[in-house]
Amino acid sequence: MKIFQVAILLGVVALLWGLNFFFEENINPYILRVIINCGIGMILAMSLNLVNGCAGQFSLGHAGFMGVGAYMSATITTVLNLSPFFQTDLGVGCAIVTGGIAAAIAGYLVGLPSLRLKGDYLAIVTLGFGEIIRICFLNIESVGGARGLSGIPPKSNFFWVYLWVVITFVALLRLLRSSYGRAILSVRENEIAAESMGIDISRYKIVAFVVSSFFAGIAGGLFAHLQSFIDPNSFVFNKSIEAVIMVVIGGMGSLSGAIFGGIIVSLLPELLRVFEQYRMVIFPLILIILMLVRPMGLLGHKEIWEIFRKKASS
Amino acid sequence: MSQEQVQVLGDDFKIDSLSISFGGLKAVNSFNLHIKPMELQGLIGPNGAGKTTVFNLITGVYVPDSGTMVLNGNSLIGLNPHQISKAGIARTFQNIRLFGDLTVIENVMVSYHMRIGYGYLDLFLRTPRYYQIENQFRENATELLKVMGLEQKRNDKAKSLAYGDQRRLEIARALATEPKVLLLDEPAAGLNTQEKAALMGTIAEIRNKFKTTILLIEHDMKLVMGICEKITVLDHGEVIAVGTPRDIQDNPKVIEAYLGVG
Repeated sequence: MKIFQVAILLGVVALLWGLNFFFEENINPYILRVIINCGIGMILAMSLNLVNGCAGQFSLGHAGFMGVGAYMSATITTVLNLSPFFQTDLGVGCAIVTGGIAAAIAGYLVGLPSLRLKGDYLAIVTLGFGEIIRICFLNIESVGGARGLSGIPPKSNFFWVYLWVVITFVALLRLLRSSYGRAILSVRENEIAAESMGIDISRYKIVAFVVSSFFAGIAGGLFAHLQSFIDPNSFVFNKSIEAVIMVVIGGMGSLSGAIFGGIIVSLLPELLRVFEQYRMVIFPLILIILMLVRPMGLLGHKEIWEIFRKKASS
Repeated sequence: MSQEQVQVLGDDFKIDSLSISFGGLKAVNSFNLHIKPMELQGLIGPNGAGKTTVFNLITGVYVPDSGTMVLNGNSLIGLNPHQISKAGIARTFQNIRLFGDLTVIENVMVSYHMRIGYGYLDLFLRTPRYYQIENQFRENATELLKVMGLEQKRNDKAKSLAYGDQRRLEIARALATEPKVLLLDEPAAGLNTQEKAALMGTIAEIRNKFKTTILLIEHDMKLVMGICEKITVLDHGEVIAVGTPRDIQDNPKVIEAYLGVG
């Protein structure tokens, strides 16, 4: 069993490594960049899905936590100049994880006061916190302030981004398929009943928020080391909205749905480039039509394999 | 022998002069209740008498203005609902509050979470302990669903169940917390005569099988009189009578509360 798992892990790593080489040799860099952006979108969508879809707490500040991860990791690799180690793949990886942890801490500090609120109030408070985080970066001169931070080592490639996609997916799936995950879902389903069954609802709201912020921070770190330039405008309110759209399109509470949402929202604007200036008219139109046709999102609350299993059995 | 006596005394659930007001309205006024271990008590009263408010006070949804609640020698005043649940009090809801999008078995398994024996590392790495405890939870939940006759539907979504099954699932979920005291808020509401008869049997069975004390709110007099050993009658937030079903039936104050002054 254990050996089997290790074999799968090694297989996935080898596959990603091989694909990375193949893509870098054979695919036009623009398309590869779009594929990598899709990966970052997936991580962002899966992480937000935990809070918005699974715990049922509507957060609008996800870009803020992404920003914390991006700035933290970029500070380590670029500003602090600690050692040449942080210019290598592994060093950048460590910096990105640190960025994720910083985002998780930020998530805890933001979640503690705001998760007492519900619904629209929570949405507005998280929106506010997201903006506060961004304004902080705008005013810290050592990370570039409004000029932004450039010269970040561009170490995010297909391999690293998609390795994190796999890690995020497996970690969140395992969390949701556990007693802790059921506790988080029960908060979404009925807070009063959950409390009466011994679930400490504030605690599990915060757990969801912290785990979600961690992976948002990872997405931010990967983003920073992909673009090799970040400024506070990379993490505006629009970015949070984008993440919410990904989750809603994919289906609230569906992990595989979030992956589709991440792909669609990252890919569509690129595919629509042929329409030139009408692009940003057509994109929202497609979203509106999608919501009219499938208001519960592509997959609803279900995972994609659950849908196929049902089809196969009936 | 004395040890045993202490144990029995310790499982008493005692409520004294519990009161709460909403604005100027005294919703519950110096409510007293004393339940012996494994006793089946009824709480009845006309609409708006404050029965569900009493349940909400006991389970910590509301914090009482004054009064004491002691279970097993521990005071329950000021505890959160989830702490009260851990202390050994479980409830069902008058207006069903299931976790609709979770499956039947998952609804029951949520209640085991307070006794969780693995941490986050176990679940991320799927250690043997994770599998062992999850399987244990699943087995226990299946057992419980068998008792409540829901075993066949264990993988259905809770919201897709028929109304009567939803009521039974609420009871199963509450039982999964392994309560010392089980509070049932109108368990027979909306059930037909046959379902009610079956439910009466189930409640009696639960008490013997799970060794739990039961306090039940019910409007159906036949059901209450049929299975309860002791009944407390509430009107306008005050206890107007306590006694055996026979005493209650003949009590003029109770008749007045239900039928008005003749």
